Amino acid sequence: MLCRKTIEAASRREFLQKAGLGFGALAASCLMGAPRAPHFPAKGKSVIFLFMHGGPSHLDTFDPKPLLEKLDGQPVPPSFGKVDFQFTRMDSVPLMASRRRFRKRGQSGLEVSDLFENVAQHADELAVIRSCYHDGFTHVTGQNWLNTGWARVGRPSVGSWVTYGLGSAADNLPSYVVMLDGGIKAGAPAYGSGFLPATYQGTVLRSEGPPILNVRPPENMSSDEQRRMLTLLRGFNEQHRATRQEDSELAARMASYELAFKMQMSVPDVADLAKESEATRRLYGMDDRTTAEFGSMCLMARRLVERGVRFVQLYSGGKKGAEVGWDGHNECDQNHEFMARKVDKPIAGLLADLKSRGLLESTVILWGGDFGRTPFTDGAEGGSGNRNGRDHNPYGFSTWMAGGGIKGGKVIGSTDEIGLRAAGDKVSMHDLHATLLSLLGIDHKKLTYPFQGREFRLTDVGGENDFSARLT
Amino acid sequence: MRILLFLAGVACFAQEEPATQARRILESNCGSCHGAARMGGLDLRQRDSMLKGGTRGAAVVPGKADESLLYQAVLRNGQLQMPPGKKGLAAGEIQILKNWIDAGARWAGGPAAAEPSWWSFRKLKKPQPPPGANAIDAFIAAKLTEKGLRPAPQADKRTLIRRLTYDLHGLPPSRREVEEFLADNSAGAYAKLVDRLLASPRYGERWGRHWLDVVRYADTGGFETDIYFPNAWRYRDYVIKSLNQDKPYNQFVQEQIAGDEIWPDDLDMNGGFKIPEEKQKHLEAKIATGMYTIGPVYHEAAFFGDQVRYEWLTDVVDTTGEAFLGLTLGCSRCHDHKFDPLTTRDYHRMMAVFAASEEREVPVVSKFSIFGFKSGYPNWLKVDELKAAVNRIERDARKRVVDGVRSRFPAPVLAAYDVPADKRTPGQRALAAQFEKALTEAGLQENAEGKVADIPYTEAEQKERERLTYEIGKATLKANPVLQTATVLGPADRIPDVHITSRGDWRSKGEIVSPGLPQSLAGENEIRDSRRRKALALWLTDPQHPLTARVMVNRVWHWHFGRGIVATPNDFGRQGEEPTHPELLDWLAADFVEQGWSLKKLHKQILMSETYRRSTKWDEANGAIDANNRYLWRMNRQRVDAETLRDATLAVSGQINFAMGGRPVIPTLTKEEYTGMWARNQWPEALDPAQHNRRSVYLYVKRAFPLPMFTTFDAPDTSTSCARRDSTTVAPQALTLMNSEFMQRQAARFAERLRGEQGDNPIARAWALALGRPPTEAETTQAHRYLAEGEGALERLCLVLLNMNEFLYVD
Repeated sequence: MLCRKTIEAASRREFLQKAGLGFGALAASCLMGAPRAPHFPAKGKSVIFLFMHGGPSHLDTFDPKPLLEKLDGQPVPPSFGKVDFQFTRMDSVPLMASRRRFRKRGQSGLEVSDLFENVAQHADELAVIRSCYHDGFTHVTGQNWLNTGWARVGRPSVGSWVTYGLGSAADNLPSYVVMLDGGIKAGAPAYGSGFLPATYQGTVLRSEGPPILNVRPPENMSSDEQRRMLTLLRGFNEQHRATRQEDSELAARMASYELAFKMQMSVPDVADLAKESEATRRLYGMDDRTTAEFGSMCLMARRLVERGVRFVQLYSGGKKGAEVGWDGHNECDQNHEFMARKVDKPIAGLLADLKSRGLLESTVILWGGDFGRTPFTDGAEGGSGNRNGRDHNPYGFSTWMAGGGIKGGKVIGSTDEIGLRAAGDKVSMHDLHATLLSLLGIDHKKLTYPFQGREFRLTDVGGENDFSARLT
Repeated sequence: MRILLFLAGVACFAQEEPATQARRILESNCGSCHGAARMGGLDLRQRDSMLKGGTRGAAVVPGKADESLLYQAVLRNGQLQMPPGKKGLAAGEIQILKNWIDAGARWAGGPAAAEPSWWSFRKLKKPQPPPGANAIDAFIAAKLTEKGLRPAPQADKRTLIRRLTYDLHGLPPSRREVEEFLADNSAGAYAKLVDRLLASPRYGERWGRHWLDVVRYADTGGFETDIYFPNAWRYRDYVIKSLNQDKPYNQFVQEQIAGDEIWPDDLDMNGGFKIPEEKQKHLEAKIATGMYTIGPVYHEAAFFGDQVRYEWLTDVVDTTGEAFLGLTLGCSRCHDHKFDPLTTRDYHRMMAVFAASEEREVPVVSKFSIFGFKSGYPNWLKVDELKAAVNRIERDARKRVVDGVRSRFPAPVLAAYDVPADKRTPGQRALAAQFEKALTEAGLQENAEGKVADIPYTEAEQKERERLTYEIGKATLKANPVLQTATVLGPADRIPDVHITSRGDWRSKGEIVSPGLPQSLAGENEIRDSRRRKALALWLTDPQHPLTARVMVNRVWHWHFGRGIVATPNDFGRQGEEPTHPELLDWLAADFVEQGWSLKKLHKQILMSETYRRSTKWDEANGAIDANNRYLWRMNRQRVDAETLRDATLAVSGQINFAMGGRPVIPTLTKEEYTGMWARNQWPEALDPAQHNRRSVYLYVKRAFPLPMFTTFDAPDTSTSCARRDSTTVAPQALTLMNSEFMQRQAARFAERLRGEQGDNPIARAWALALGRPPTEAETTQAHRYLAEGEGALERLCLVLLNMNEFLYVD
């Protein structure tokens, strides 16, 4: 909420009473957005969104396809119809079975492939949504769909909507935090606030150097020096404000310096993983070079939600040297093995740790990526040839959710027999977002913001298939 | 007098026939959508068409109001609620309609008048201002009196020069400027100041930036590949130059929409090294159409040619609607507008206006220079030859490695590999896979992680590569610079049909539409001239046009006061705010047209008013009535925007570089700021450090990677037109101002400047530079005490000044 707007909404008398509460209350209400009541009671209070950048194959992870085994190497039967893909003309390439083994897991018998052996141990917590679809067959449009509910740039991201809806419950920390393991194709708009005020944009937390931009005071300035400097600033600002008492924005800006000063300590503190026990660090795979990076991001995510941070998003597969993330155009199986090894143990560790601390009940975990992948091999036109790769497939793919009151071991929806398209109980991104909001107690139709002549929603004009009731 | 008239109006109304009353209600509340626009197929201008109804069926069942859709809709308690938007009809009006239908719905007279019912669609007429020396003040005063508000006193001279300089230049006034203004006690001192500021080139830079928000300016296309627009800056410079020249706004609009069609030139009127003056003017009008070549570009849409065109037309129509018409045309792309009289047909007819055009590059130098470039072209052939030689070395080296790998495999494997990939049997696939693995290991193709090893060159090859690379460098330096061009609109070689699409899906192809203007605004029309954009531009700039002038004067008002007379400058429709001072808006708009659409005259009108010169001083009694200052009983205090903050900081530190125009400057980023950027090679920093201190309007606007400092301070996202920036207060702003490398560096330069300049004590100079006033006694004492901290204290004091609320807000 814009500070001035907040004040505009309230009567002047109310404002003066509020000002009487002092800087603390003002800082809370104006800077981060004080906690706001949800539309209805719900268990979910925070979200951790695990984003597999590049697009993980549903066919090799959470959506087994026996028919695909039988049709391995054969052309796509015409009965499955034709759709457009980025590189591949589907009548010119053979189907490719998964090289992975699927097994029934846990009490529920949920099928998970051996790429996620560790996550599979929590199968009874997972609700796998196998019928996700959108229409963006390139990375940026896919990433935008998952993140903002729209293929183009310019809409606010889910995290922005959630913090706009629920406000912040974290002291001295940003309420929407993003961690990247490298550059992402959709860039900053993927965690931007679009037409919502900048208050709601995601803050990037780094694992090296200053954890967030400008949070480290300059090297030549000691903390005492900075404190005295801020005291001087405050004194000058108070003199300025003496004749401008009515302007709450001036007061809020003064309070923002107090908050910023505290963030200089609280942010490095939350980012300091050395404070965790050896056992915990091992649980997240921080003792292994392969899993250390994503493990530390997952552990950081737990530390953030523990402190009331509303929305945390972690990326696996961002640009690092020549790595391509989950984008298995070539040797999809090898690529996924390489990527899954990095995240499987950390994600399982996160689930276990949240559970043991009683945080899983209040934290919704969402796992997904740009899209799924094709059941046939990647056949670039004019041909670099297909080397056992899979092309992008937005027409049917899997995501999963856990925590936040979800009773797991469930499957929602299905794809057709080769996993080309969502077939039963289809879930659009608006439906997925509506469900996520429901788990947090937000009615997606009531969470609106005026822009370009209408009340915009995260779910645009969709979201009718909110399936949260079937999860909890 | 006015009271009497008002009473007469009521009396007149009371004597009217029920049929006339009903007609009056329908005309003034429903006419804009259910008149010529026939939204939902319904036309309420005649009895026949009412009985026939629209897509939902008959609107009126004579004698039965309860069964009439019209009555149900105005009750606004069912699914269909009319009129749409915030307000319904008054209870009395609803009753009149009920009685009228129950009595048989007799229609009085012929078809209803064409005058539209929505305020912003009505013809522009100049109202008579209330008596007073200044029309603006008279209109404002009338409202203040009506609301029981007392105007705040006039601001003092220091406040005024600071307010004006930030407002018109986006910079603080210099010390000398403040002193001169304070010393000038003549009656015309303030007017002289306004004139001086309006005449400075800094004005075009500041107000150009405002306009660039409206036209969603950027130097790249956004999305993953974020394609670079090599000539976007020419449009940016065109905007700045046009504003500085006080180009009439109607011409400014005409040039951007149809500069090429209105001023077509034969490019060879005169010879010479330079382009003749008249031709240069026409060229500039062409460059103006560059506005339509700098929107978001979705690279991958190029997989389907039709989609590229559709995406482009969407951006073009949406931006035209918001920027010039102040209407959210975009809503009617997928369905008829729910609140305004705009149909999908209108939308696609507007698309057809632009469908006859396409982007092209035109040279911006004289014919003589073009010939000169071509005469020197062989230098480029040499560069090409050298590049080809480098490629041959790589090709030979690769072949050697592949041959080496081949020699290690038996014939069946090689035969399997040589079968085209999609023709291999499962057995062949397995064999080929062995060979591919070996190629990957040898560094010749990507592995699963996308890595490619370096090609192993021999020593001789490596040496030759280095020599050739050096030669390429030398030859490039010798070759002529590339031919300078501008990216503009021109006629399309082939004009495609425009189909009405369903729900905005470019693949769905419905009815073919011809180019035309929105029917509710322009009536029945079809553009038959092949220069379609010209017809649009001339219609928009007709002095009678209801929207163009109203929308622009409201923007100007918004940028001066921080809030428009219509608080939603891009939405003059039913979902937008209604004007707080409708007569003032109309008077300003009509006057603007009369004064030859001169923006500088409009500025002067506004800036000379007492309303603009009021203090920001709060008043309890006024606040109780109008806490948000909608009626302008005082001036609004405004936070400076992102670009102004940076420019003001550079001005205070003495580092600002006022060089104008040219290619966008790519500033340096810190390692942390780079986080999240997809491809760093898209950020070739300016190597000349002086460039880094250019004004913000000249910095690189990269859609996929906005400058972190600007994003933190609410710069717009450039995906669509931005009429109004947010002004948020968040902790990252404080962190930026306290800790960022930029602010630290500028504070240090500011301190250096204080040490280096002669004169009175550094504290007084610091206050004068940053805040345009002397320090108070208390401030001097505190600052003195603080400076006693010794090393670095002056730098920190300077940083404090750049962090003060007084520096960030303009009274």
